[in-house]
Amino acid sequence: MRSDFSSTVVCALVSVLLVAVVGCGVRPSGVSDAGEAPTGVAPGVTLYFVDDNDELRPQFRRTERLGTVSDAVSLLLSGPGDSEVRTEIASTSVTNVEVTTHSEAIELRVPLDIGDVTPMGIDQIVCTARTSHVQNGGSERTRVRIRFVQFTPESEVRRTCPLYE
Amino acid sequence: MGRWWPRGLRPRLLAGFALVTVLGSLAATWAITESAGEALVASNQRRISETVSGQIGAVTHEVSHPPDQAALDRLRDSVGTDTLVVFEDLRSVDGTETDLITDGLREAVRAGDRVVTQRVVDADRPWLLVGAPVMITAPDGERTPSGIEVYTVRDLSAVQEEVDALVRAAAVAGAAVLLLATLLALFTARGVLRPVRELRDTARRLAAGDLDARTEPQGVDELAELTVTINEMAESVQGSMESMERMRADARRFAADVSHELRTPLSTLTAVTEVLAASTEDMAEDARESARMAISETQRLVRLVEDLMEVSRFDAGSARLREEEVDMVSAVRDTLRARDRLDQVEIHAPEELPVRVDRRRLDVIVANLVGNALRHGEPPVRVSVFADRTHVNLVVTDGGPGLSEHVVPHVFDRFFKADAARTRTPGSGLGLAIALENARLHDGDLTAGNGDDGGARFVLRLPRASGDIDPGRERGVRG
Repeated sequence: MRSDFSSTVVCALVSVLLVAVVGCGVRPSGVSDAGEAPTGVAPGVTLYFVDDNDELRPQFRRTERLGTVSDAVSLLLSGPGDSEVRTEIASTSVTNVEVTTHSEAIELRVPLDIGDVTPMGIDQIVCTARTSHVQNGGSERTRVRIRFVQFTPESEVRRTCPLYE
Repeated sequence: MGRWWPRGLRPRLLAGFALVTVLGSLAATWAITESAGEALVASNQRRISETVSGQIGAVTHEVSHPPDQAALDRLRDSVGTDTLVVFEDLRSVDGTETDLITDGLREAVRAGDRVVTQRVVDADRPWLLVGAPVMITAPDGERTPSGIEVYTVRDLSAVQEEVDALVRAAAVAGAAVLLLATLLALFTARGVLRPVRELRDTARRLAAGDLDARTEPQGVDELAELTVTINEMAESVQGSMESMERMRADARRFAADVSHELRTPLSTLTAVTEVLAASTEDMAEDARESARMAISETQRLVRLVEDLMEVSRFDAGSARLREEEVDMVSAVRDTLRARDRLDQVEIHAPEELPVRVDRRRLDVIVANLVGNALRHGEPPVRVSVFADRTHVNLVVTDGGPGLSEHVVPHVFDRFFKADAARTRTPGSGLGLAIALENARLHDGDLTAGNGDDGGARFVLRLPRASGDIDPGRERGVRG
């Protein structure tokens, strides 16, 4: 009697385990979350200039696409065009900007000296680079470091955009 | 116990070990493959969705908004084959597996701002569906759907194979463990069974009478305790047996000593009574009666002491057999004639029946049997002597009421009295016991029972002298 009972139990146990082992593997599932959606499309790029009140003002340029941080800063260096805002960055024929992205900061190598920009001009660059970075999916807490052509302590400062502090 | 359930200790241990191992390894295999498989699938899924997400994110800044067909194609190319990119009425599709994309996934992509995944199985192949809405991020960080949806289908067969390999490896490991467990079970069974077998052998030897048998206890487990206990038991049994044997020997020696010590004063007493007997003529009537009683009681005492000494000799094993060629029939007649009993007994016997016996002991046996029949039974007392193939038989019957049932087993006991009230009989109470000892000394036997006509029947069986017995050989009973 006892052996019959225990044999039944053992058989049941073994078959359950066998089914469990055989049945494991890749099974169908429902819809599940898999992280943040990609971003980076936009009808244009946002640049920052200075208005008559000496305040930073965003200016939307319809470029059809967002473009990179480098594209945005290059476009900033090329000036405001004939709009009612001005730039506090000296005009330069070379607008190439080299961008290196680190975990907490993006580093811009601009074709400028510290004398070519006012503090307001620096904010223009920082805000433009930061906005492009955020629109491309980067973190809003990312800081910006501007490396000038000639050595200056200002090259070491990690900056934030005053509009989004 | 069931029919198929193993009975021996070894198969039971083996079965137990195997069962535990199988269950244990199955459980472990199941748990490991289940969780490892899940982790494997999950990590692959995460890797795939992150890759897809990254591939999309890497090209979005080049994608115009609102996108045209070329922009959608650009996005689709960046993700790879089996990809579908949708924007409003525009579609860009590549590969055939995009049919697998479910409505549920589409709804989740349209409604949310997160990448979603779903596993499906199609034609026994597992697939991962990844759906990603592409977002527009405003300068202040706020995200809104761009309307572009990217769907892609990825093959999970490689993961399935990895999981299968995991199960196989676990199964192989389980089989190896089972083998190991079997060896271990055999080893353990041996370790348990060897002491059990030794104990069994020891117990057998003890049962067969070898009280010196012991088992050396090994280790400190329960079996060792059992061994120690059995050894102690054997020790105590041996001690009891030795002390009993000693006490019996002491009792025998005491009886022998007593009878021996009584003999010397009895000889003197016998001499005195003989003188007394010679002078009874001169006595008064009552004094003569007393003297006769003294004489007869003294003679009885002498017989008793002689019987006691004979019994002591049997007990001590010092009784010796002096065999010689004797004619059984004439020996019986001689015995009866010597005791004046010839006319009281009917003898049925052949002319002669030669046999090798101790003449004196045969005389004692016949005298005791006939005396017993005459004393306690009633006439006619018959003595028959006849031979069969192996034995010479001497049967003594009487015409009395026979032996009652409770008497038969004790009739050869020493000092046994069938009638408790009749304490004073002429016999010593040792006669039949001595007769039996004498019969056994001859390798024969003496039995008591009742005849067909109801009288007591005593049968003496002595082996016929065979050629292999040396003439004049001396045999002793009890070593």
